Amino acid sequence: MTARLDPRTKLYMILVVSAVVMMSATTPFLWAVRILMTIVPIVLLITEKHYASAFRFLILYTSALVINFTCLSEQSEGFLMAFLVGYCSIIVQFMPAMITAWYVVRTTKIDEFVSAMQKMHFPDGITISLAVVMRFFPTIKEEYLAIRDAMKMRGIVLGEGNIARMVEFRMIPLLFSCVNIGDELSAAAITRGLGGKVKRTSVEILKLGIQDYLLITLFTSVLLIFVVFKYFR
Amino acid sequence: MNKKRLQAKDFITIGIFTALLFVVEFACGMLGFLHPYIVASYVIMIPIVGSIPMMLFYTKIEKFGMLTIMSVLLAIIMFVMGMGYLGAPLIILAGIVADLIAKSGNYKSSKKTVISYGVFCLWICANYFPVIVTADSYRKDLLDGGYSAEYCDNLFRAINYKTIGVLLVLCFVFGCIGAFIGKAVVKKHFEKAGIV
Amino acid sequence: MTGSIIDIRNVTHKYKGSEQDTLDNVSLEIKEGETVLLCGASGSGKTSVIRLINGLIPHYYQGDITGEVYVDGKDISQTELYELAGVVGTVFQNPRSQFFSIDTDGEIVFGPENIGLDPKEITARKDGIIEQMDLKDLMGRSLFELSGGEKQRIACASVAALLPKIMLLDEPSSNLDWESIGTLRDIISEWKKQGKTIIISEHRLWYVKDLVDRVIYMEDGHIGCEWSGDEFRSLDDNDTRSLKLRPVNIQGRYEEIFDFSAKEKENHREEFTDGIVLKDFYFSYDKKPYLLFKKKYSEADGEELSLCIPELVLPKGKVISVIGCNGTGKTTFLRCICGLEKDCTGTIAIDGKEYRGRRRIGLSYLVMQDVNHQLFTDSVASEVLLSMKDKDDARCCEILDSLGLLKYKDTHPMALSGGQKQRVAIASAIAAGAEILLFDEPTSGLDYSHMEKVGELLHDLASSGKTVLVSTHDPELIECCCDYELYIKNGRVISFTGSLEKLEGIRRNAI
Repeated sequence: MTARLDPRTKLYMILVVSAVVMMSATTPFLWAVRILMTIVPIVLLITEKHYASAFRFLILYTSALVINFTCLSEQSEGFLMAFLVGYCSIIVQFMPAMITAWYVVRTTKIDEFVSAMQKMHFPDGITISLAVVMRFFPTIKEEYLAIRDAMKMRGIVLGEGNIARMVEFRMIPLLFSCVNIGDELSAAAITRGLGGKVKRTSVEILKLGIQDYLLITLFTSVLLIFVVFKYFR
Repeated sequence: MNKKRLQAKDFITIGIFTALLFVVEFACGMLGFLHPYIVASYVIMIPIVGSIPMMLFYTKIEKFGMLTIMSVLLAIIMFVMGMGYLGAPLIILAGIVADLIAKSGNYKSSKKTVISYGVFCLWICANYFPVIVTADSYRKDLLDGGYSAEYCDNLFRAINYKTIGVLLVLCFVFGCIGAFIGKAVVKKHFEKAGIV
Repeated sequence: MTGSIIDIRNVTHKYKGSEQDTLDNVSLEIKEGETVLLCGASGSGKTSVIRLINGLIPHYYQGDITGEVYVDGKDISQTELYELAGVVGTVFQNPRSQFFSIDTDGEIVFGPENIGLDPKEITARKDGIIEQMDLKDLMGRSLFELSGGEKQRIACASVAALLPKIMLLDEPSSNLDWESIGTLRDIISEWKKQGKTIIISEHRLWYVKDLVDRVIYMEDGHIGCEWSGDEFRSLDDNDTRSLKLRPVNIQGRYEEIFDFSAKEKENHREEFTDGIVLKDFYFSYDKKPYLLFKKKYSEADGEELSLCIPELVLPKGKVISVIGCNGTGKTTFLRCICGLEKDCTGTIAIDGKEYRGRRRIGLSYLVMQDVNHQLFTDSVASEVLLSMKDKDDARCCEILDSLGLLKYKDTHPMALSGGQKQRVAIASAIAAGAEILLFDEPTSGLDYSHMEKVGELLHDLASSGKTVLVSTHDPELIECCCDYELYIKNGRVISFTGSLEKLEGIRRNAI
């Protein structure tokens, strides 16, 4: 696969999938459409060389699907069975949204995403904040791991058996670190011109390609099929 | 810089605290995989744990828009993470109302801050929207599949159309309680350390 | 105005909420194309001068200010910060906190995007910068996986992409190892060649000494004295010591201490009969897939091991420096000793008693590079008490007193200075009964007198019977307090020598 998808297409995919997961499939045809819709992001993951996660999703989804179908049809009873099937149906129901989200998050660069938002005329303030959110997830992880190491050395991972302290010991150093980093980050960003009156530009040039139009058509039809079956029949 | 409009620095601060709040939500969300009842207890956990960063956040910017933007960001992240868009109007509405309440107290009045945070916490209920909408048809599926009505009721007792009102109220109440706890923590640590 | 690109006139400044003036009637003119070094102790106002020039004072950090600052003909007090973006560029101290993007490409174009340049122009600039600074190998990577030195190179590139005439560097080497400092020096000298005006605030003086045209010595918020580049280069250790500066001429000695190839040749191993015995320390970051039982690492894993120490005896009550290039296992070694890496199953024996697995945790304590992560409570005293199994106020006070912290007993640890925080962390380690104290780069970014204090502290800890291991790139610290030198390469101990004798030898040669 040579051409990458436009982030706007990806957002549209999420939109459709999150709408469809809330409508349950009732006929074999609808099930087929639903499964097809789930396969698309898995295939896309493969084209982006995320083999491991694609494989994992595929296994999980298929097994949930199989368990769901076989058990439901056999009319099985029993608590454990019910529990298992309950989980499986939740997975089958919401997994497509999870896979699509995972695909989008894993394969979209922040700059692309921000640039897409600019194209869709979000104000600069929101795109800046969103870029910071994305940048801070890994920072929070880094800081948290360091804090947890420090807690291990002090032997206070369990907060001396007190849940409030458990939260406090994690949260307080984390907040101090994040506030500090934020102050320094703001200073560094402002000296590089953030917050000027001029409209920001972006080097990520977005253009809808043929693959984008294909997927948009595909997902629109999926949505239409579900809406028609649910409300007009 | 006593300008009333949000500056670049404020946007960065908003981003940081949104990330922190979302991490709190995510950490609590992980527990939700264990049992459906834990999912229902989000309304207690998230307002209280989240209050610590949020009360610090309230002291950091004190300009209109801080909560509105945060709610928009939360809605976007929820959407991208595949948690649907049905909750978006609720999240953003909660953000705007909370922002207005806090503004009416000039972001200084502690009573207003408490109420504002309580209102802001309503966003948590947006987590349940997809489940509620799906639940009915899903329940039918299960019943058709031969499950006892008892089990199905058990699964959805905590979360359905009727209880969402209760959950909203709980969010608000625990938001207000959380606000007091958060304020105490901010006082204990951040004011004492001279950060605020 | 010709020639003078920066003109600071009689500036007095005080931060909001602070009692003391940070700058006291400072006047300074800098000519276009000059390279100026600002030196002086921490808190002497170096950073404030940098902030005056890039406008962070008064636009970002609030406070009271009198006097005028003109940069490139602009009155700073009347100029918005974003208007300065193409004129003044600043490289900050902490590589971790100054990047805005997640990937390297985005970071370089961040500035030009902010000022709304045309995308074509931005791409052209980016390619130019990558070429010029030789960054090809860093492109397309996540900033979170880069080392501190690499991050700092990207930070320099990101600033340079705005093509500012004036470059400010605020203690840029604080978190860097020796090699990265060399790269940083090359970048600065390239900027100098391009005719940029460069102002560097720095504690480590040796690496910039050949680049500077003028040196400003700051003292308590005013300019203490001024040297020309040549005068500065001729300062000897006695001069710098009396001014509380780190030495200017150090490279010769530095090379001696860090002459790794000679160490490899000597391959000298000091042997101790009585001491702390480390046994079977094996560890690898490449996790092997396993089904049911996790395979223990052993010497047989050979090259795959990130740490491979079959046996090592550390002398008790000494300060041992752990040296080696970046990424060769110094930090891994420290983390394994204090039990942070669960998969490392070595044993530690003290006085015939063996400790293994989780039991090692209370035995040793690592003071991290960023000590902020290790402070949890709301007062210094409760921080120490948290480490004690039986809360004993008297002993707590005793420990605090020995570290000079008693008067801060009720202060919030985060309100203290960096050095004091370090000592609070040490106090909590002592309270927990740790026998081995580990330090990861405790002096990077410290000025001379603070560095010296850390040295004394390590020495005192050793004299009180603790064994101190310190991973460091700081030759001055090694010189002032370390008894032994442990050289690690690829997670293996290459040599273990007494450092005092060696330095004696160097000193003799110098005379």
